[in-house]
Amino acid sequence: MPVYDRGYTHWERSDGRALPAWLVIARRGIIEPLKKRWLLVLVLAAWVPAIVKGGIIYFKLKAGDMVDLLGGGWTSIEPEGFLNYLDKQHFFVFVIMAVVGAGLVATDRRDNGLSLYFSRPLDVKGYVAGKTAILFFFYALVTLVPAVALCVFAYLVAPEAAGMELLLLTPLRLLVFCLLTGTSMALVLLAFSSMGQRSIFVMVWWAVMVMGTKTLASIAEALGRGSLRVLDFMAQYDNAGTVLFGAARSIEVSRGVSFLVIVAWTVLAAWVLRRRIRPVEVVS
Amino acid sequence: MKGPPIKVNRAETAIRVSGLDFAYTSEPVLKGIGFELEQGAIGLLGPNGSGKTTLLRCLLGHVPLKVGQVEVLGHDMARTARAARAGLGWMPETGGIIPGMSGVGLVAYLGELSGMPARDAMQRAHEVLHYVGLADERYRPCEKYSQGMKQRLKLAQTLVHDPSWIFLDEPTSGLDPRGRVSILELIRDLAWNKNVGVILSTHLLADVEAVCNEIVVLRKGELLARQNLDGVARQPRQIFEVEGFGDTEGFLAGLAALGAEVTRDQRLLLVTLDMAQVAGEAGADGAWDAAAGVNAILTVAEAQDYALRRLRRRPVSLADEFYEMVEA
Repeated sequence: MPVYDRGYTHWERSDGRALPAWLVIARRGIIEPLKKRWLLVLVLAAWVPAIVKGGIIYFKLKAGDMVDLLGGGWTSIEPEGFLNYLDKQHFFVFVIMAVVGAGLVATDRRDNGLSLYFSRPLDVKGYVAGKTAILFFFYALVTLVPAVALCVFAYLVAPEAAGMELLLLTPLRLLVFCLLTGTSMALVLLAFSSMGQRSIFVMVWWAVMVMGTKTLASIAEALGRGSLRVLDFMAQYDNAGTVLFGAARSIEVSRGVSFLVIVAWTVLAAWVLRRRIRPVEVVS
Repeated sequence: MKGPPIKVNRAETAIRVSGLDFAYTSEPVLKGIGFELEQGAIGLLGPNGSGKTTLLRCLLGHVPLKVGQVEVLGHDMARTARAARAGLGWMPETGGIIPGMSGVGLVAYLGELSGMPARDAMQRAHEVLHYVGLADERYRPCEKYSQGMKQRLKLAQTLVHDPSWIFLDEPTSGLDPRGRVSILELIRDLAWNKNVGVILSTHLLADVEAVCNEIVVLRKGELLARQNLDGVARQPRQIFEVEGFGDTEGFLAGLAALGAEVTRDQRLLLVTLDMAQVAGEAGADGAWDAAAGVNAILTVAEAQDYALRRLRRRPVSLADEFYEMVEA
C-alpha cells in the first residue's frame, strides 16, 4: 500500500537485522561531518605529511643517503620512524578532533537530546561508545590510516624493506597504539564536551589541554625543569608509545609515569562522563 | 552495548506503580505514589511542581528508582528499563530535536536506536511523518521547522517504533489554536482508534478533556485522585444557572426548601442541587437527568411568582472537578 494511502499502522518487523545502538550513533556521527566539504579538505591536508614522507622514501632510492640530511625521522621506515610520523600529526589530531568532537555531547545537552536518546533502549555505555567511535574514526583517518598506507608504500619502494616488519608488525604496533591513544583522547574530549553546552567553550578547553599544557611544559623545560614535561598532555602518549615501538623515551619523564598519567586522565574522563551524561539534568 | 534484539511484549501492556518515593535532592518530589493503568488515554494533571514530569521520568526509567516499584510492560523499571523502553515513546516538553538532520532522517535515526532495522526505520519514518501531516516537509532540516511542525515531528519520533504507550509532556505547548486542535486530534486518534496507550501530562484541562478517558491528579508529589472522566457527569451534585426577576427572597426560600445551595455570580444565581434528592434515581448509565433539576426549579419559580429569564444546567467541566480536588 502506498505511503500516502496509509494512516497509522502498527509496525510489521521485517527480516532485516538491527544494528547495535552504539553503531547507529557512530555511523550517523561519521557520515554527517563527511558531508561538509571543508572537513574533507582538512582530512586531505592531514594527509600531506604522509605524502611528503612517502615522497622522501621514494627519492631516497634516487638520491641515496643525501636525503637523510633532512633528519626528523622523515626517511626512517623503522617502527620509531612511524612513531615520529604520528608525533608530527598532533596538530591535525588536535584540529580535527576539536571540530568533530566539541559538540558531540554539548549539542545533545543543549537541545535536550539526551532525553531523546535515553528514551530508547540505549544505556550510557552505548551512548559513550557510539560517540567515542566517531572520534576514533576521525583520529584514525589522520593517523592510523596514512601511517599504514605509508608502511605498504615503503614496502613497495624501499629496497631494504622487510615484509614481515612493514606489512605486519609495524601496522600492528600502529593499530594498538592508535587504538589506545585515540580512545583515551576521545574520552577526554567527550568529557570536556559533556561539561558544557556550547561547542566553542569545549574547543577552548581542548586547546588549553593540548596547546596550553604543551606551552607550559616547554616553558618549564626551558627553565631547566625537564621533568615538568609530565604536564604536556599529548607528549605522554608518544612517550608511553616508545615502549611499543622499541624507541628511546621521548621526554625527560619515565614511560611508566607517562602511562600512569594517561590512565589517570582516561579514568577521570570516564568518571566525568558517567556523572554528566544522563537523561535528566539535576540542578541542586 | 549489545545490539537490541528487543521485542515488545504486546500481551503485557499494564503500568503498575506502588509505593513510589522519589527525590532528586533531599526534598521529596514523589511521595508514596501507587496506581495501576490499563492501556487507554490517561491525563496526568497537577499544579506546577506537583511531580508530573518526574513521574513520567520514573515510568521511563530515566531516574534511579530506590523506593517503591514501577512495572511497565512487564518490566521492573529499576532493573530492566532499557528493554521496556523499546515499547515506550517519549515526547519531551522542551528540545527533543537533534539539529542538523532532516525530519525523516531524525525519525529514522531514532527508530534505529529503538532497535529497528535501518530499512524498516526509514519506511516507518515516512509513514509516521505522513500520519502527523509532515509528509511535504520531511526533507527539510528540522531546526528550521515552525513550532507546530516541531511538535508534530516530536510526535512522529515518539511513534516511529510503534510503542505500546506514549508519554507526552505538554504536547500542545506553544501551539496556536488550530495547531493545538490538530495535534489533539492525532493523539485522540492514537488513543481511541489505534490501540496506543497515552499518558498526557499537561496544564491545559481542555486538552485532557479532548483526549482522555481517565485522569490522575498529583499535588505536591502525592496522588490526589484518579478518576474516570465519564464519572464526572455522574456526580450527584449539579449546578444550575438561573437568572430572573420578581420575588427573589421567596424564590431563594423555595430553593432552600428543596435542599439547594445558592451562590451569586453577578446577575446569575448558581443553584447546586443534590440530584439524588430531586430526581430520585440516576439513569441506567449512571447519568442524572437534567430535566428533573430544571423541573424542580421551575416549580419553585412558579410557586414564588419568580419570572425566569435563563435556566440551564451548567456543563460539568473537568476544570471544576480539578480545582475542587486541588483546592480541597
